[in-house]
Amino acid sequence: MVNAITCLFRKKVTSGSAVPDDEIESIGRELRCEIDRVFGHSLAIRELDTGSDNAAEIEINTLTNPFYDAERFGISFVASPRHADVLMITGAITHNMAVAAQKTYDAMPSPKFVVAVGDDACTGGIFKGTYGVLGGAETLFPIDLKIAGNPPSPAQILTGLLALMKKADGTRQQQSP
Amino acid sequence: MAALPDTGNSWIRELLGPSFADERIINGPAHEYYVPVEEHEFMPAAETLSLHKFVLISLFAVEGFSDRAPCSLFSVFERKQHVLVLIRDVDGNAASVAGLFPAASWFERECHDGFGIRFDGSFDTRRLFLHECYPEEFHPLKKSFHNQPVEVKTGILPKNEYPFRVVHGEGVYQVPVGPVHAGIIEPGHFRFSVIGETIFNLEVRMFYKHRGIEKLAEGRLPADCLGIAETVSGDESVANATAFCMAVEKISQIAVPDRAWYLRTILLEMERIVSHLNDQAGMLVDIAFPLGANQFSVLREECVRSNALLTGSRFLKNRICIGGVSQDISNSTLSGLVDFLKQFRKRYKVGLKIVLSTTSVIDRFATTGVIKKSLLRPLNITGPVARASGGTVDVRANHPYGIYDRYAPPVRPLRDGDVLSRFTVKAAEIMDSADLIERLVAEIPDGEVCSSAPVKDGYTISMVEAARGQNLCWVRIRNGRIDRYKVRTASFCNWLAIEHAVQGNIIADFPVINKSMNLSYAGTDL
Repeated sequence: MVNAITCLFRKKVTSGSAVPDDEIESIGRELRCEIDRVFGHSLAIRELDTGSDNAAEIEINTLTNPFYDAERFGISFVASPRHADVLMITGAITHNMAVAAQKTYDAMPSPKFVVAVGDDACTGGIFKGTYGVLGGAETLFPIDLKIAGNPPSPAQILTGLLALMKKADGTRQQQSP
Repeated sequence: MAALPDTGNSWIRELLGPSFADERIINGPAHEYYVPVEEHEFMPAAETLSLHKFVLISLFAVEGFSDRAPCSLFSVFERKQHVLVLIRDVDGNAASVAGLFPAASWFERECHDGFGIRFDGSFDTRRLFLHECYPEEFHPLKKSFHNQPVEVKTGILPKNEYPFRVVHGEGVYQVPVGPVHAGIIEPGHFRFSVIGETIFNLEVRMFYKHRGIEKLAEGRLPADCLGIAETVSGDESVANATAFCMAVEKISQIAVPDRAWYLRTILLEMERIVSHLNDQAGMLVDIAFPLGANQFSVLREECVRSNALLTGSRFLKNRICIGGVSQDISNSTLSGLVDFLKQFRKRYKVGLKIVLSTTSVIDRFATTGVIKKSLLRPLNITGPVARASGGTVDVRANHPYGIYDRYAPPVRPLRDGDVLSRFTVKAAEIMDSADLIERLVAEIPDGEVCSSAPVKDGYTISMVEAARGQNLCWVRIRNGRIDRYKVRTASFCNWLAIEHAVQGNIIADFPVINKSMNLSYAGTDL
């Protein structure tokens, strides 16, 4: 039993992360700066699984655990596509999901960005040319960035988002000279 | 219910009658028995098996198995260590067993979509994995269809949409949820019929992620199918790859070296620990208790990182191969794993104590989402979900594969069948798996890790206890290539149980009930 009174009187300590992860910290710092600059302090992502083997979603979910805690870099995963800047697609687009995927994309306000996460979303992977799928995410909408991997690790996904920020910044500068 | 002898096939005659002579019974390489039956013999046999508490664990069709008919239907029955497969030749129509074994309903709808077999007397004839967009009379698993892109329908009219069960009555309203959900999870549709806040009926509609795994494997060399088996469900890739490899090894009589089985077992148990930790963290997130959830998600991430140290993959991919494992894991890496598990276990106990001593957690978990023991057999519920409801099924104990006969895990069923029981069963299994890995590392022999031998033709069933329960596959090799790769994961069976588990609960408890059952959408949809 955890005793509440002991907790109250115990000396408070703030301990550092058990496993300091320099790689994540440095990507995160850079990402934070870019999100602050390009997206006004917050990047809202809607994740959409269109036929993955579920490993890619698990890795995206991992970004929210205390090791990565992507929210401190300004990234939040939102419940509705209407609140999202970025659509993250995992898995090849199956015929059964195509309508729902299109509706999700259409519900997003512009400007919107689409990121394909994992080999299947990038190209269709091993399912390319088979009866169940349309193919990679680009068969349905324009793709701004592809993050390859089976599945890509959380660090690779963060690095990918950093590349997206740079690309989005380029587009923004072109549009407002 | 009389006890059946452990060996020989005389029990089949004792059960089904003297007409089932020895020459009719085919012994499979995994100690399963195949009996070809006439259509008129099938229903009486199924009734007898039902009376003797056999469970229908799979029903699938195979083309080109018999000379007498284009299609053969395999009904797989299991009771403890006995596995009996009744084979019916089918040309167009077959009798439905869904009345006797409700689990057959999804199996039969699956056979209809894949092969166009119609089931007489079936209570549900809607399409299953082929949604409205697929053309009529399209049956992708037929050999006459070559795997290629198909022309699908667009602009489906409301009258042609999937008909859900409708509940009528005063104050009943429907809540449609999905396929795109609020969180980062896989797609599926839930149709709730609700009175006030209480769920009166739930119908799940899955297969949004149907990618055509079974068809994809057809015609390939067995070694080229490992990636396909791992893709069935990303977080149980070791289990599915092991099941597939075991089938090929049994058919081809390849002896897997002892060290390889130790390594496979270590990976299987690590996969179980990671999966259970993920569930436990998820269940606590769903009741908004981040303090507890973070204990488990931190430990999970550390386990995933040790997986990457062991195999180079956070999901343990690309390591299982036909004949053993593709690469050895050094003894020093393994002892590093044991050191990690020692401190893991201490910290896990702390996390568990925090969670189980918090009254609001118990309040949300206890009596929520009860699955009655009486549902286990009719619905073929498997894995930790069954063990939390008083079931004693565990493939590692009932059909020990590899070295599990020497390292049989304790089966510790609980009776309540609620979310709390499922949480506690998984906690015990995590500790048991950690113990088992320590024993395995202490006793692992040196030697080869992979034996190469030519692949032979034949067919067999194989079963593995994945984190979610019994994963079954049936493989047939012809001319050195895969002729049929039938996969049935534990999730496929357990999805129907959730429709019963949520009844009488409130919608707000649905996420935690769903998470406590940890169902893989990818593994169901294939």
